[in-house]
Amino acid sequence: MLTLFKFLAVALIGTALGLAVTYGVLQRGVAFNSVQAGPWRGLPKSGSPEVDPYARAKLARSAELPLGTAEGLSFIARADSSGATLQPRCDYDVSGSMPAARYWTLTLLSPKGFLIDNPAKRFGFTSAEIVRASDGTFDITVARQARPGNWLPLGKGEPFVLMLRLYDTLLDFGTAKLGAAAMPKIVKGRCE
Amino acid sequence: MNFGDRIFGFLLYVTGIVFVAGAVHLVSILLMPQVAPHDAYARLSRLAKPGQMVLLPPALPGHEITPFEDPAMAQAVCLYDVSSAPLHLHAEIPDAGLLTLSFRTRSGKIFYSMTDQAALHGTIDVRIMTEPQLEAIEDSEDDENEPLQELRLVAPDVKGFVLVNALAAFPSERAAAEARATSVSCSTEAIAQQ
Repeated sequence: MLTLFKFLAVALIGTALGLAVTYGVLQRGVAFNSVQAGPWRGLPKSGSPEVDPYARAKLARSAELPLGTAEGLSFIARADSSGATLQPRCDYDVSGSMPAARYWTLTLLSPKGFLIDNPAKRFGFTSAEIVRASDGTFDITVARQARPGNWLPLGKGEPFVLMLRLYDTLLDFGTAKLGAAAMPKIVKGRCE
Repeated sequence: MNFGDRIFGFLLYVTGIVFVAGAVHLVSILLMPQVAPHDAYARLSRLAKPGQMVLLPPALPGHEITPFEDPAMAQAVCLYDVSSAPLHLHAEIPDAGLLTLSFRTRSGKIFYSMTDQAALHGTIDVRIMTEPQLEAIEDSEDDENEPLQELRLVAPDVKGFVLVNALAAFPSERAAAEARATSVSCSTEAIAQQ
C-alpha cells in the first residue's frame, strides 16, 4: 500500500514538475536557431518546415503568424545597440544600413506584439514612404513628442519593442553570417 | 533497512520524478500545436469560411487578430480542407506591388511560402492536395512531357490555411493592397474537372 502511494506521488510530482517546466519555458521563450545581429534578434527557422518543437509550441500559444522563409525575415529589438532595454521615457534614433530587400517595414509594438495607440495613428514605416537624405540614408526618430522627418510615436509611455521585417530579401542565414553592421543601429537620445 | 538502502531508495524515487517530469514536459511541448485553444487557426476560423478568400480587418490598436501583425500589410486568408477535393489557388499579378503567400497547416507549420516574384507569365496557380489526389491527377494526365503550368503541393495535413499578404507601401495604397490580397482566388474543385 505504501509503495503504491509512493509511486502515485512520483507520478503526480513528476507531472506537475513537467508541466511547470513547459509553462516556464513557453513564458520565457527558449529559442534554438536564433540569429542575433546587434540589438536585432530573428528566428529564421520559424517560417520553414524545419521549425523546432519549442518554437512551434510558443507560436501555437501566442497565435503569432511568422513570415514564411520565402516571404521574408523578421527581427525584434527589445534593447538598443548598447544592450540597454528600450525605455518608453527616452527617445531613440534608428539609422544605418539595411540588408538588401525589396521592401522593409519597421513597426512599434508592445512587448506582447500589439500596436500602441497614438494620436498620430502612426504605427510604423515602410521603406517606400520613408523620408531619406539625398545620399539615400534614412533616420527614424522614436519619441513621445512629434519630430520633423520620420517620427515614430511612442504613445503614452507603455513599454515597447521594435520589429523589423525584410520582405523578399536575399539574406540567407545558411550561407552568410549576419553582422551588427548590416542592420540598423538603435541609439538612445534624450530621456525625460 | 540501513542508511545506505534508504539513500538508494530515495534516489530511486527522485530519478522516477525526474524521468516522469521530462516525459511530461516533452509530450506537452509536442502536443501544444494540436491542443492550444486560441491558436491562429482557431482565431481565423471565426472570421473565414473554408474554400473562400476572406479579407482580414486591418491591424489597429485593440483590434488585432494575432500578435506581431504588420500594420502595413493587407491580409486575406483561405481556410482549406483537402480531405475530399484539392484546393485551387489562382492569382493574376498585374502590377509590381508586393504580394506574399504562405501555406500553413492546421497547427501552424508553414510548408511552403512564395512571393509574387514566383509568378509564371503573370499568374500564380497552386493546387494543394493529398498524396492520393496527386497520384490520381498524375495518372489521368496522358502527356507527361508537357511542362506543368501550376505548382502542386502535397498538404502535410488535410486542414490548413493560406495566408495572403499585400503590402500597402503608403497608407493611401491600403484599398489597392486589399484588392490585391483578395484578388487571389481560392476554390475547392472536383478532381474530375481537371
